[in-house]
Amino acid sequence: MDVALLIARRVVTSLATLLMVSAIIFAMVELLPGDAASRILGREATPENLQVLRERLHLDRPALVRYGIWLGDIVQGDLGTSLINGRPVAEVLEPRITNTLQLSLYALLLYLPMTLIPAIVQALRRGKPTDHGLSVLNLMLLSIPDFLLAAIFLIVFVVWIPIFPAKSSVPQGASMLELIRALTLPACTIAVAMAAYAVRMLRDNLIEVLESDYVRMAELKGLTRLQVLIMHALPNALVPTLNVTALNLAYLIGSVVVVERLFAFPGFGSLLVDALQLRDVPMVEAMVLIASAVYIAANLLADIGTILLNPRLRRA
Amino acid sequence: MSNRDLGSIARGIAGHWHGAPGSYRVGAIIMLLHFLLGLFGPLLAPYGYAAMGTSLPMEGFSWRHVLGTDALGRDVLSRVMYGAPTVLTLAFSGTALGFAIGTSLGLLCGYLQNWFDELVQRLCEALISIPFLVLALMAISAVGPELAGKPILIVLVVALVYAPRTARLARSAALEIVTRDFVTAAKLRGDPAWRVAWQELLPNATGPLFVEFSLRAGYAPVLVGALGFLGFGLHPPTPEWGLMISENRSLMFVAPLSVLGPGAFLASLVVGLNLFTEGLARMLGRSDVVVRA
Repeated sequence: MDVALLIARRVVTSLATLLMVSAIIFAMVELLPGDAASRILGREATPENLQVLRERLHLDRPALVRYGIWLGDIVQGDLGTSLINGRPVAEVLEPRITNTLQLSLYALLLYLPMTLIPAIVQALRRGKPTDHGLSVLNLMLLSIPDFLLAAIFLIVFVVWIPIFPAKSSVPQGASMLELIRALTLPACTIAVAMAAYAVRMLRDNLIEVLESDYVRMAELKGLTRLQVLIMHALPNALVPTLNVTALNLAYLIGSVVVVERLFAFPGFGSLLVDALQLRDVPMVEAMVLIASAVYIAANLLADIGTILLNPRLRRA
Repeated sequence: MSNRDLGSIARGIAGHWHGAPGSYRVGAIIMLLHFLLGLFGPLLAPYGYAAMGTSLPMEGFSWRHVLGTDALGRDVLSRVMYGAPTVLTLAFSGTALGFAIGTSLGLLCGYLQNWFDELVQRLCEALISIPFLVLALMAISAVGPELAGKPILIVLVVALVYAPRTARLARSAALEIVTRDFVTAAKLRGDPAWRVAWQELLPNATGPLFVEFSLRAGYAPVLVGALGFLGFGLHPPTPEWGLMISENRSLMFVAPLSVLGPGAFLASLVVGLNLFTEGLARMLGRSDVVVRA
């Protein structure tokens, strides 16, 4: 099949999934049995409060109409207004998203060497003590929940060896160095949690490729082990790893929520927890939709990357 | 049951045990220890889980308080021991519920392959596209204050996160099986779809499903812990490990053991489950299972 058609079909499926996600979000937040307004207000509900909130949420109209209005607004770029402080959701979100993007990019930058180096070492020394040792370490890291990992980092690098600050909130106009210093611990937590998971996959893929015929050919040609690895094995093992990294993103987004909370970092994740605790419905809906859209987009990109990198898939 | 039967079962188990990979065995032992802790922990705990002022608050290690005390002077080790059955029950019942729903839906869909299958698949796809912690938090916040902090809510949320993922796996396992002759025979016999799924598909899909269950169960304690940590799980003074880590994190600098203690118990449980899964997958000839998302 034509590559363009294949990609176009993937794009359409992604958009359909996103539409379905929006319906699920709306259904969960607004359609669960009982009155949404009294659920939101909880114990603080007074008849007047409830009346005002019902009007603001358009609860007098049928659910399908409300969903239509909400979706129509979002498609036009209007994410709604926060119930808590009356500011537009987009305005509140913007600085938070910028912060989280900085943190995620830093984490991603640390994630690459943390994944590549151990995986390559393990593949080269497969079956040897180094490989087993790194595997055990990997499994330990895989089993430590991210909130605990963050706590361990805090104890070690803030209390015992005080080189990093405990709170990662960065004041406006902080210098680059301060920014890096503040973001290092949370970024490391996220990177380690993600890498622990990808290393195994990359190691297994590398070993599989290293046992293939064309690698033997390259070896017989006289290339060194490292040359073979970097020129032949790595590019072929990267495709599955790319997919894992995209899948991993669902984990990254969860990790961001936990890590931002622990380090008091003013990003997307801590805002989401606040919005959920305060039951700020428009904010929650918009944020969950954005988080899902990021995940869907990343998987779409990984799929497109796979299609472009792997000629065999194009003919399927 | 005669002695000879018992003897052959025992030999069967022993043979299974000796043939199993090391990681499977180590994992099984760790899981057994956690199971025993869950069973007897509350009976053996030296102090009550809510007993305040058992000593000075925020103490470090001592022989009376091996993991020290928290801000209210409660013995951290006792709380960890009391929490063990809670953590195990929540994680396993949530996984089991999600697994049961996902397996039935997935097998049924793989057999039917009609509009129902299409609908369920789209729904699962969408649910998987919402990052799982976000989905869990949103669900908890959506049901409102009446259910908040109830164990049943945590179980339902874990099931909600796991069911679509299990359904996808069960469906793809079913797709391979439905092409076989015995399924066609059952269909021609006029068996209803649910019976084909239950009697023909399920027994032939146990391998991948068992690995899936073990894998999901391994992550469930982390998910439950993360919910507790973020304040969306059980309410204090329940000694749930994630909640304890969250409560004691302000003491991290004075009494690090109050965080590391429950943390070590949680991590060891997950290590055990992960080792078990890895060994199990290797025994069943599948190495591609470590997919957390």
